[in-house]
Amino acid sequence: MIEFSAPDYLTALPEMFLATVSLVLLMVGVFVGNRSTKLLTWLSVVAMGAAFIMVLVGSHAPSTTFFGMFVSDSFSIFMKCLVLIGAAVTLIMGMGYVKRESMNRFEFPVLILIATLGMLLMISANDLIALYVGLELQSLSLYIVAAFRRESIRSSEAGLKYFVLGALSSGMLLYGCSMIYGFTGFTGFHEIAAVIGHGGGDAHGVAPIGILIGLVFIAAALAFKVSAVPFHMWTPDVYEGAPTPVTAFFAAAPKIAAMALFLRVLLGPFHELVEQWQQIIIFISIASMVLGAFAAIGQRNIKRLIAYSSIGHIGYAMVGLSAGTPDGVRGVLVYLAIYMVMSLGTFACILAMRRRGQMVERIEDLAGLSKTNPMIALALAVFMFSMAGIPPMAGFFGKLYVFLAAIEEGLYALAVIGVLTSAVGAFYYIRIVKVMYFDKPTEGFDKPMGAEISSVLAVTGFVTLFFFVYPTPVIEGAQAAAALLFP
Amino acid sequence: MAESNFWVDYILPLLLIVGYIAAIILPLLLIVALVTYGERKIWAAMQYRKGPNVVGPFGLFQPLADGLKMMLKETIIPAGANRVLFILAPMILFTLGLIGWAVIPFNSVMVLADINVGILYLFAVSSLGVYGIIIAGWASNSKYGFLGAMRSAAQMVSYEVSIGFVLVTVLLAAGSLNLRDIVEAQKGLWFFIPLAPMFVIYFISALAETNRTPFDLPEAEGELVGGYQVEYSSMTWVLFMLGEYANIVLLSGLCVVLFLGGWLPPFHVEPFTWIPDVVWFLAKTAFVIFVFTWVKATLPRYRYDQLMRLGWKVFLPASLAWVVITAGAMHLFGWMPQ
Amino acid sequence: MIIETIVFYVLAVVTVAAGVMVIASRNPVQSVLFLILAFFNASGLFVLLGAEFLAMILIIVYVGAVAVLFLFVVMMLDINFSELRAGFLQYLPIGAIVGIILLAELILVFATGAVDIHVPEVVAVAMPAPDEVSNTRALGNILYTRYAYLFQGAGFILLVAMIGAIVLTHRQRVDVRRQKIADQVARDPKAAITLKDVKPGEEGSWKSD
Repeated sequence: MIEFSAPDYLTALPEMFLATVSLVLLMVGVFVGNRSTKLLTWLSVVAMGAAFIMVLVGSHAPSTTFFGMFVSDSFSIFMKCLVLIGAAVTLIMGMGYVKRESMNRFEFPVLILIATLGMLLMISANDLIALYVGLELQSLSLYIVAAFRRESIRSSEAGLKYFVLGALSSGMLLYGCSMIYGFTGFTGFHEIAAVIGHGGGDAHGVAPIGILIGLVFIAAALAFKVSAVPFHMWTPDVYEGAPTPVTAFFAAAPKIAAMALFLRVLLGPFHELVEQWQQIIIFISIASMVLGAFAAIGQRNIKRLIAYSSIGHIGYAMVGLSAGTPDGVRGVLVYLAIYMVMSLGTFACILAMRRRGQMVERIEDLAGLSKTNPMIALALAVFMFSMAGIPPMAGFFGKLYVFLAAIEEGLYALAVIGVLTSAVGAFYYIRIVKVMYFDKPTEGFDKPMGAEISSVLAVTGFVTLFFFVYPTPVIEGAQAAAALLFP
Repeated sequence: MAESNFWVDYILPLLLIVGYIAAIILPLLLIVALVTYGERKIWAAMQYRKGPNVVGPFGLFQPLADGLKMMLKETIIPAGANRVLFILAPMILFTLGLIGWAVIPFNSVMVLADINVGILYLFAVSSLGVYGIIIAGWASNSKYGFLGAMRSAAQMVSYEVSIGFVLVTVLLAAGSLNLRDIVEAQKGLWFFIPLAPMFVIYFISALAETNRTPFDLPEAEGELVGGYQVEYSSMTWVLFMLGEYANIVLLSGLCVVLFLGGWLPPFHVEPFTWIPDVVWFLAKTAFVIFVFTWVKATLPRYRYDQLMRLGWKVFLPASLAWVVITAGAMHLFGWMPQ
Repeated sequence: MIIETIVFYVLAVVTVAAGVMVIASRNPVQSVLFLILAFFNASGLFVLLGAEFLAMILIIVYVGAVAVLFLFVVMMLDINFSELRAGFLQYLPIGAIVGIILLAELILVFATGAVDIHVPEVVAVAMPAPDEVSNTRALGNILYTRYAYLFQGAGFILLVAMIGAIVLTHRQRVDVRRQKIADQVARDPKAAITLKDVKPGEEGSWKSD
C-alpha cells in the first residue's frame, strides 16, 4: 500500500468551491429548465464573488497541495482575482444579450463558471499534467460557448474553427510535455527546474536538445492560447463569429489565464533556459505588435478590429516577458490588468450597439454617436485613447512599465518597435473616435441600454480614466506577484 | 536436453489446454442444442401445444435434424455484399459466445483461465458481440439488415453501460475481479439478496444484450423480417443461432457466478452438500435459461423509444445510485472486503 | 521466452500493419475495422507486459464503445471518400514536409545522443513490485490517492464534453407526443372505464347505428 495522507484542501478552497457550485447549478438547471437561466447567472456571479473573497483572504504564502500539483501564491492570487473579475463582469453585462438573442439556456452560465474554474486550475498548475487538465477544461468549455448560438452559421463556424485549431495546439502541448517528461523524468515544475538547474545539461551547461524541443512545443501551444502571432489565425474569425458576450469573455479572462500559465511555465521550470526562450518571446512579441497594428487598419467589423487589437496587446505584454526580469513581469501583470478593464469596457460599448432590436457590428454604425448617445461615445473614446496608449489614460501606464523594463534590459530595438507600432495602432483607434465625433449622425442606438451594461461602462471608464490617481493596489499586487516568480 | 525441455515446456501444456477447451466446448454445444429444444418445449407447454415430438423420443433429436437440414441448404451471398465481412460476421458472434467460457469457474478448481481480471474479460467479450451484428447488417447490403444492425448497436451499447455498473457493484462487494473469488465471497450470502436491485437490472440488461424478447427489436420479424439475419442462410445462419444461444448460456452462467453463488449449494448442510458442485452450477444456469425462455413466452416487444428510455433514464441512474450507495454503506459500516 | 518474443513480434507487426491499413484502405468502414484490429493487438501487447487491467480496459472502452460509435457514424455517413482523397493528394506535399521535419527533429534528438540523460530513479519508486499486488489494485491505489486531483479534473473535462454535446445538438421537439409513463400508471380505472349492464335484446348504448 502507498502511504496516503489527505491533501491540504484549504489551499484549493476557491477551486473546490467553484467546482461544487457549478455541479449544483447544473443540477438546478437540469431540473428547473431554461427559465432558471437568469437565476443561475446571478448565482454564478455570486459564486465568483465568493471565490474572489476566498482567494483574497487565503494565505499569501506560497503553499502547494495535491502532492505538489497545485500551488497557491501571491502570483496565482493576483491572476485569479483578475480572471474572476473578468468572468463575473462579462456574465453580468452579457445577461441582456443572452436573453434577447436566443441564447437563453441554463448551460451558458454553468459553462462560463466551469471555464473560469479551468482557468483557476491553470493558474495554480504546478505540474505538466495539472497544466494540461486545467487548460483542457477551460478550452473545452470555451469551444462550446463559442458555438453556443447553434442556429447561427457564424457562431457554429467560430466554435468549429476554435475547436479544430485548439485541438491542434493541445496536441502540440502534449507533445512538448511528453518531451519534457522524457528528458527530465518528472512532470512537476519544481522537479523539472531542479533537473534543468543542476546538470540537466551536458558538460558545457547546455540543456539537452530534447528539453529545448519540448519547450518550443509548449511555448507554441501557449502562444496559440494567448493568440500571439504566428498562432493567431483563429482569433479574428472566432471573435467575429462568437456571440458578443462570449467574445468579451474570450478577450478578458482566458487570455489572462493563458498568459499567467505562460509566465509560470517559462519562469518556473524553464527559468534556467531564459536565453533560449527569450529569443522566441522576442520574435512573438514583435510579430504580434506589428500584425496587430497593421492588420487592424483595414477592418470594418468592430469585433474583428478588437481581435487584431488584442493580438497587438498580447505583443506589448510579451515585451515585458522578454525582459525576463521582475520588473518586466510586473509590467506584464499591470498591462494585463489594465487590458482587461479596457476590453471589458469596450465590449460593454459593443453590447450596447443595438439598433431596432438588432445587434450591429460595423464601424460605420458608430457614425455620429456623440450626437445620438453621448455617454457611450465618451466612454468608447476613453477606451480607444487608452488602448492607443495616450496619457493619462490607464493604457499608457501599462505600456510604460513594459517598455521601461525592456529598456533596462537593453532591448532597445524591441522598445522602439513597440513605440512605432503603438503609433500605427493609434491611427485606427483614433479613427473610431473620429467616426463617432465628426461623421454625420445616423440613427441612434436603442435606449435604454440596460442597467448592467451602463454600470459596467461607468466603472470601467472611471478606472481607465483615473487609474493614474491611485494605481498602488494594482502595482503592489503585481510587484509581489512578480517577485515571487524570481526566487 | 533442450529438445525435451521444449516438449515439456510448450507442447504438453498446449495439448493440455486444447484438451480443456474441447472439454468445455463440446458439452457447451450439446447444451446449446438442448436449449433450443427445451425452449420450444417450454413455449409449447405455455401455449398448450405439443412442440417438437416427431424426431426421436419426445422429439429429442429435433435439434440434430434441424442442424442437418441447415447444413444441406445452399449458402447464399447477396450480390452487393462485402463477401469477407459477410462470412466473418457470424463467425465473430459464434466465437465470442464460446471464448467467454474461458474464465467461467464451474467449481473451485474447474476453470480454464483463472485470470485476476476475469470479470473485465467477460465484460470485454460481451461488449464485442455488437460487432458481429453490426458487420452482418452492413455487409449484407440490405435495408432491413442495416436497420436491424443499427438498432442492435444502439441497444447493446446502451445496456452495456448499466451492465458495467452492475459489475462494479459486484466487484465492490466481493473485493476482487477474479470470478472464483467472487463466488467464494458469496459463501455466507448470495449476492442477489444484498444487491437485489442490481440483480434485476443485470437480468433485464442481459435480455437486451442478447437481443431477446422483450428487446428483440434488431430481429423484429414483424417489421424487419429478421433484421441483421435477413440475408443469411444455411451454415452462416446456423452460426448466428449457435452464437446467440451460446451467448444466452454465457450470460446465464455469468448471472449465476455473480449473483447466485456459482457452484455453492444454497445451504451448507447434509443433503445439499451431497450433490457435486458442478451440478449446482449447471442446475442454476439451467434455471436462469428457463427464466429467459419464460420471459420470451410471456412478454410483448418493447417500442424503441421505451427501450432507450428504460436503458438511459431508468437503469443508468438507478445503477449509478446503487454503486454510490453500496460503496458508501460499505465504507460507513466497514464491510469493505480485505 | 522464445514464445513470448515470437508473440511480441507477431502482435507488434500486426499492430503496425493494421495501423497502416487504417489510413490506406479505400473503404472507411474497413478502416475502422482495421483500427479495431490494431486495438486488439495493442491490448495483446499490454497482456504481454503483465498489464492485464489496461488490456481489458483498452478493449472495453476503445473497441467496445468508441469504435462502435465510429463504425456507426461511418456507416451512416454519405460521403464520397474518393473525392476527399483527391483533395488529400493536393495537400500531400505540405503534409509530407511537416512529417519530414518532425522526423528529422526526432532523428536529431536521438542521433545527438541527448537521450541518455540520467532519468532519475524516483520515477520507478511509486510502482510496487508486480507480484506484490495485482496491477488493478496498484493502479487504483495511485489513481485515487496521488492523482485524485487530476482524476477529478479529467472527470470534469468529460462532464463538459457531455454538456457540450447536449447543448449543441439536443433539440426539444414540440410536435411529438411523448409517452408519460407516470400518467399511464397513475390512471384510475374508475375514471377510464365505465361498466354498463346491458340486457340482451335491448338497444346497447355502445352501438352507434
